[in-house]
Amino acid sequence: MELYFEDVTVGLQMPKLVKGPLAKLQHVMYAGASGDFNPLHTDDDFAKAVGMTDGVITHGMLVMGFVGQAITAWVPKKNLKKFGVRFSGMTKPGNTITVTGKVIDKKASGHTITCEITAQDETGDIKLTGHFEAELPSRG
Amino acid sequence: MADKSKAGKVYPPIVWEVERGKIRELVSAIGDPNPIYSDREAALKEGYQDCPAPPTFLTVPAMFAGSMATAVVDLGINFAMVLHGEEEYEYYREIYPGDVITGVPKVMSIEEKTSKSGRTMDMVNVEILYTNQRGEKVAKARTLIVERK
Repeated sequence: MELYFEDVTVGLQMPKLVKGPLAKLQHVMYAGASGDFNPLHTDDDFAKAVGMTDGVITHGMLVMGFVGQAITAWVPKKNLKKFGVRFSGMTKPGNTITVTGKVIDKKASGHTITCEITAQDETGDIKLTGHFEAELPSRG
Repeated sequence: MADKSKAGKVYPPIVWEVERGKIRELVSAIGDPNPIYSDREAALKEGYQDCPAPPTFLTVPAMFAGSMATAVVDLGINFAMVLHGEEEYEYYREIYPGDVITGVPKVMSIEEKTSKSGRTMDMVNVEILYTNQRGEKVAKARTLIVERK
């Protein structure tokens, strides 16, 4: 169902997306796909040696990828104009990540909406916060 | 400690041919089932010219080209103390399989900040502006590298 500018109101929630629980295999897949081969994400011995007591941590960009999935499941990719995040917490294997979002502004010129987004785990620990802007079609 | 004299420095361009399989591999790793990224027919039906690159695709050329690693070394940043603070994209045009994109990394600013707990950090902002084979601007990526001290 196409989302029109007129259907969106400030405060409207983006459909939430639940991902996980995360497996270490997904880190390996993401390392190969993205080119981020930092062993902090794939090698428990390395991660422990640099102070991560539980071993590897998830690529922040994988969690941002989950948010990108959530956004473009709701707003067509071609309408997405800006997307930014601030990483605030570490994600680990076993975590289940929930992505939520909310419309915080809409501008009639350009039919642009601005949304804030959050990714958190099953305990409510926030992994990242951010925002995106999209230009939506108008019923004219 | 980041070398503040290097603010404004431009690094050699990243040149990257966008492969269909690499787009599919990235969405598969993310677990994004949206058919526009892997099924050309589905993408055409949704008004794209081919399967578009997903929102975080530009991490791929940046990581494989090693541009962040190059910048970190050149700026004298201690790798062990690096955090990825922020990532932001501005999208101007779709990126499609077969496109050859060129990204020019530039150090926008290097600032020292003190956290509430009194810890000092260097905040290094790097922007990469990407153009395609037709010289059209396709996207801008901004990365905030945080070096804890």
